[in-house]
Amino acid sequence: MVGLSVGEKNFIKHGIAQDLRNDGRKRLTYRPIYVETGVIPQANGSARVKLGATDVIASVKAELGRPSASHPDQGKVSIYVECSPTAEPSFEGRGGEEFSAELSTALELCLLGGKSGAGAGIDPSSLSIKEGKVCWDLYVDCLVISSDGNLLDALGAAIKAALSNTGIPRVQVREAASSDEQADVDVSDEEFLQFDTNGVPVIVTLTKAGRHYIVDATSEEESLMSSAVSISVNRQGIICGLTKRGGAGLDPSVILDMISVAKHVSEQLINKLDSEIEAAERANEEEP
Amino acid sequence: MRGIQLSFSNTQKLRLEKALAQLESISSKVNSNATVIVADTIPVDEDAALKGHGTLEMGKNVIATVCGVVERVNKLVYVRSLRARYKPEIGDIIVGRVIEVAPKRWRLEINFSQDAVLMLSSMNLPDGIQRRRTAVDELNMRSIFVESDVICAEVRGFQHDGSLHLQARSQKYGKLERGKLLKIPPYLVKRRKQHFHHLDQYGVDLIFGCNGFIWVGEHVDVKDAMVEDQVNKPDPQNTNSASLLGSSEEPTYTPLETRQYICRIANAITVFSALSFMVNLEAVIETVTLSLSLNLGVHEMLEAEFHVQVAEQEAERRCTSSRRK
Amino acid sequence: MEYVNPEGLRLDGRRPMEMRQLRAEIGVVSRADGSAAFEMGNTKVIAAVYGPREVQNRSQQMNDQALVRCEYSMANFSTGDRRRKTKGDRRSTEISLVIRQTMEACILTHLMPRSQIDIYVQVLQADGGTRSACINAATLALADAGIPMRDLVTSCSAGYLNSTPLLDLNYLEDSAGGADVTVGILPKMDKVTLLQMDAKLPMDIFENVMQLAVEGCKAVESYIREILLENAKMLEIRRGA
Repeated sequence: MVGLSVGEKNFIKHGIAQDLRNDGRKRLTYRPIYVETGVIPQANGSARVKLGATDVIASVKAELGRPSASHPDQGKVSIYVECSPTAEPSFEGRGGEEFSAELSTALELCLLGGKSGAGAGIDPSSLSIKEGKVCWDLYVDCLVISSDGNLLDALGAAIKAALSNTGIPRVQVREAASSDEQADVDVSDEEFLQFDTNGVPVIVTLTKAGRHYIVDATSEEESLMSSAVSISVNRQGIICGLTKRGGAGLDPSVILDMISVAKHVSEQLINKLDSEIEAAERANEEEP
Repeated sequence: MRGIQLSFSNTQKLRLEKALAQLESISSKVNSNATVIVADTIPVDEDAALKGHGTLEMGKNVIATVCGVVERVNKLVYVRSLRARYKPEIGDIIVGRVIEVAPKRWRLEINFSQDAVLMLSSMNLPDGIQRRRTAVDELNMRSIFVESDVICAEVRGFQHDGSLHLQARSQKYGKLERGKLLKIPPYLVKRRKQHFHHLDQYGVDLIFGCNGFIWVGEHVDVKDAMVEDQVNKPDPQNTNSASLLGSSEEPTYTPLETRQYICRIANAITVFSALSFMVNLEAVIETVTLSLSLNLGVHEMLEAEFHVQVAEQEAERRCTSSRRK
Repeated sequence: MEYVNPEGLRLDGRRPMEMRQLRAEIGVVSRADGSAAFEMGNTKVIAAVYGPREVQNRSQQMNDQALVRCEYSMANFSTGDRRRKTKGDRRSTEISLVIRQTMEACILTHLMPRSQIDIYVQVLQADGGTRSACINAATLALADAGIPMRDLVTSCSAGYLNSTPLLDLNYLEDSAGGADVTVGILPKMDKVTLLQMDAKLPMDIFENVMQLAVEGCKAVESYIREILLENAKMLEIRRGA
């Protein structure tokens, strides 16, 4: 994307300092969020989230797999982001790979727990079917269709919406003859268990421009940021993950302040997102 | 609707449809029949008719190559396309962004199929003297414009390979700072006599570029070329030092009130572009006054309710102006 | 396996000569010069056009015409089984080439010398007929971007299973092993611009199947025409004098 001139950057920065951003928002105001669920009927769950001109789709597919040897009682979750060239001509070919990898890693950090699986936003032990033998592998695939800044927040919201739309088929485990053999499972075609998304966090990205931070930056505002911190907070106010982007150094007190601001903002965001998801599910049911 | 997704409630949808139906009823009947899409046959009277832009002769028929409206001027038949890239004409005022600083010229991006070129010789030198450009001037090009600068210029002509030549010799052209650049489809900007607007009551400069780039910014006095250059010097120095320090103690702050007006005007233009209405000064000012009278916050101008109200206001405005005719 | 039951209904309840439901939307990607979403049954595709704009790679610049580039990519979740490689594999490269050649033939490239037109097609859901849906979406996106074209390009596929020619195959019918004929036409000029087939067919049956596909293309064309005309009228009304 072509950059902004010095004059424009200063204008935006001073606007942020005066609490009046380029589109009139205050520093901590989100753009309107629009959620649509069930957009990919083939997947177990899916959602499309539009945040201003940013447009992302997340889909959740559940496949049967073997749990890893180190964690026999847990399922596996993997998150993968792809940037479509429709969003930005520079994403053509392999151009978007680096950026996609950065987003995928950031999402995994924020939503999945550490190596031991502890403290994850998405609890992997709920995905276990038979310890040591069969578990669910959740593949969360995201696609960025249009980008206008703040992709992490939009992707986090899309993943939360897709998970609340996800139905995992009920499984009956038939006992295997010996403990070495692959256990037989009957995957039900009719019954689905809704995924519990109460513990799934949302991601709040705070972008620092000048001396102040803003929430939900557009791509113009992102181009003048010095650094950005993305914090994932869940409904209970517990922080599930944290990433910092950008080259500028941050004073530790500033980071602590950002975390408290993020917690405060996340409450409104979670409520707004939950009501949007509910409205989307209701709209789905009303459709013939 | 393009752009931001808006969720309309049922009543809002009804009101919007009513306003659009009103617009449809007053739109020219001739025009609605003349809308064509790609590969539609255009009824042409005789072979003597000149086939202009957007038409293609296929055997005995003349077909349209773009989606648009057929216009007939005397013997000329052409298709005026709707959403398309900018179609330049000599004398157009445009706003562009510098992409590259090349030997003796700057390349600008102006929403055209090629980049436009602004020669060093078509630009006033900082000291204001009319003289031949020397090699030193060429080396100091960056002191005039750098990459990513926003510039206002005029179309001088076409080069042999189809790219544009620009000129910025008058004082009203040049670098634009302290403001915001908006991009809307070029077909929403009408060519008029005046493209520079200075809104006194708000202290805001508004430039409608024919290429769809619109500049909304704080008012800058046009400096007279004959006056001594002392007025020139402090400004660039200030902005430079401020960017070096990166502090917010810049002495030339845009006052909050002006900034609010700038954001309101920008949002009004965005709403117009989302609704695909033609953008002109009177309509924009009316919209801003409407938002002020409704006591809307600047950001609330981008919500669904205001879009519906702007549509209703525009329908009213066009009705009254068509009744006057 | 029975793809056409004795009553003459296919697996999804359609008749042999019936197309799936079409749905198109213009202007889905606001940043692009032109964009469109096209759905043929469960196959969903988004196309975005950027251009004509300055050529990014000077060595590819052509002095007398525009450079047309195309990229086709499928989302990870678009197929039933999760795809590992979404672009750059041979099928995607081949389809990118096919779309590029088809659109290049109908764009009036000599009107925009020294410029570049990028067509990006993204498949959101694949249920057979992705090639056709992509070409239809690309046509809509190019018309939306105001790029001059000789004619619209529409495309449809047809096959032959259980001794019946079938129009607009879905994924199950496509993978049944019968022939799959994809046709792209320039409807006004009545010319075939794309013709691909896999598997084998006797000559006379091939003629029938191809004719059926051409009929399908014409049906798509009337739908696209309707959408574009409505869109153009709406824009003109809103724009005002």
